[in-house]
Amino acid sequence: MTALVVAGLSAREVSRRRTAVLLVIALPLWFYLVRRDQTGQSIRMLALGIGWAISTLTLFVVNASRGVDPRLRLSGASVTGLVGGRLLAMSGTGALLALGYALLAGLDQDVPHPVLAGLIMLISALIAAPFGSLVGSLLPRELEGALALLSVCAVQMLADPAGLTAKLMPFWSVREIGTYAVDGGDISMLWHGLAHAALVWLLCAAGTLAVFSHRLRLAHYPEP
Amino acid sequence: MSDWPDRFHAELVRLGVPGPRARRLTEDTAAQAAETTTDPAGLFGPAHLYARHLVTELAAPVGATPPRYASGPVLLTLAGVGKRYRRRTVLSGVDLTVRGGEVAAIVGANGCGKSTLLRICAGLTRPDAGTVHRTRRVGYVPQDGGTAGWLTADEHFALFGAAAGVVPGRARSTGAHLAAKLAWRPEPGQRAQQLSGGTRQKLNLVLGELHSPDLLLLDEPYQGFDQGTYLDFWHQVHAWRDAGRAVVVVTHLLHDLGNVDHVLDLGER
Amino acid sequence: MMSKPWLHGFLDLCLLAMLAERADYGYGLAQRLAAAGVADVPGGTLYPALLRLEEQGLAVPSWAPSESGPRRKYYEITPAGRTVLAEQAAQWSRFRTGVDTLLTAVAPR
Repeated sequence: MTALVVAGLSAREVSRRRTAVLLVIALPLWFYLVRRDQTGQSIRMLALGIGWAISTLTLFVVNASRGVDPRLRLSGASVTGLVGGRLLAMSGTGALLALGYALLAGLDQDVPHPVLAGLIMLISALIAAPFGSLVGSLLPRELEGALALLSVCAVQMLADPAGLTAKLMPFWSVREIGTYAVDGGDISMLWHGLAHAALVWLLCAAGTLAVFSHRLRLAHYPEP
Repeated sequence: MSDWPDRFHAELVRLGVPGPRARRLTEDTAAQAAETTTDPAGLFGPAHLYARHLVTELAAPVGATPPRYASGPVLLTLAGVGKRYRRRTVLSGVDLTVRGGEVAAIVGANGCGKSTLLRICAGLTRPDAGTVHRTRRVGYVPQDGGTAGWLTADEHFALFGAAAGVVPGRARSTGAHLAAKLAWRPEPGQRAQQLSGGTRQKLNLVLGELHSPDLLLLDEPYQGFDQGTYLDFWHQVHAWRDAGRAVVVVTHLLHDLGNVDHVLDLGER
Repeated sequence: MMSKPWLHGFLDLCLLAMLAERADYGYGLAQRLAAAGVADVPGGTLYPALLRLEEQGLAVPSWAPSESGPRRKYYEITPAGRTVLAEQAAQWSRFRTGVDTLLTAVAPR
């Protein structure tokens, strides 16, 4: 139950940060509009933009909870419940954003594989949630975290997708599946992309859980 | 509120009152409310809180002397507790025993480790030396922070209730009831970041108490309180004590010390 | 009106005294307390005190119908209750004399 209540309240918290939410919703749009003339590029940029937006928003939510988390633990909440609840909320927010942009792109352009285009936006959003919370768990200040996310997303956009650097970045799957969806190619690109996405998701979620389990560990004292 | 008696009964059973007795008390209570033709919630407040209150009251002996509360079981023991951050020793050789029905004050200069000691009591910080024995149910009220700026008081109640395994509706009514004891009525829709410092501290206090812990750890919880609220606060501390709970409060106000059973002076730095 | 912290100690005494005068039910006792100018006792304070008297054998309850509305639980004082009342009344009397002495010393002339 903790996870569900945390998820519901985190979602409400996000919706109250009006300015941040508007900026975050708009961010992928700028990426998209800049490359609107090239279908493939614009879809990939849009998906990466969604990833950046959702990871940043997740970072804010994770940072905002620093004060309450230890107290919630003392009241009896589990680390899994707290981390899982926020992840759930941000994945949901991300999925909504992805859905909206998938519809927009579908209406605005002649996308060769609309389902795959939607899929990369969804993947990008779903990876962004644990990735943002991992960065948030490691970097306590919002500005530091936001700059770190900016660096990662910029490298991901600029690095050659075939190179090692790009593969080590969290959103490689978006570019890989995006290339397959737009330019075509071997179906193995899709599977590689999905495997990479799953691996990144697992690593980030496990990493977040590990960091928080350590930080929110309680000393267990014997009863007097 | 027709399920008031059911919730009242359930809470009595949860508190360890045997079934037949719990049923009898529930019937009696319903009859008492009927006498005054008020609904039970209006007369007694939330069902679970009244159940706790009744159990405490019935356990007390009838006596005319203003009660001087017999100390209960030991709820917190510190023996030789020490803490160092790198080379700097923050605490060393701290001993403290607090029983149910007692209030202990931790005093000392700024930076002498009062807050660290309270965090150790809570279990949020581990001591490097010594042993701690502590009851399981503990409420901790930090000096600042401890609330989520974007959430309202009601949402905080739901959140902290969920952490303790209480359904949101019940957590909200408990929160509102506890807030009223501090002469505070949360405004719907007002976020924690919009509250004044003193009101936010009230929220902090209510959150520390929401899951009815046996031991309350308070870190200068009255900053920003006006005089009236300050008195309400000490009144509340004594109400906790009278209910058999133990309270450990960090303070730097010396005139608080007349109100407490133990004073732990951590001294100069 | 007596402030609450004081009342806490003397409510039992007041209740026993009123029951010694005549058996009564909860709401009636609350009204008598208020009429005597002792306190407005909220239900959440009064009823636990009555139940406690009952459980400790100082008062016995009996149900009686009322002309208007639901039946009422009347409390009657027991011999044990009278003993406690006598003891506590003596204590109260000593306490009151002590306080009076202290107050007269500073009373305005």
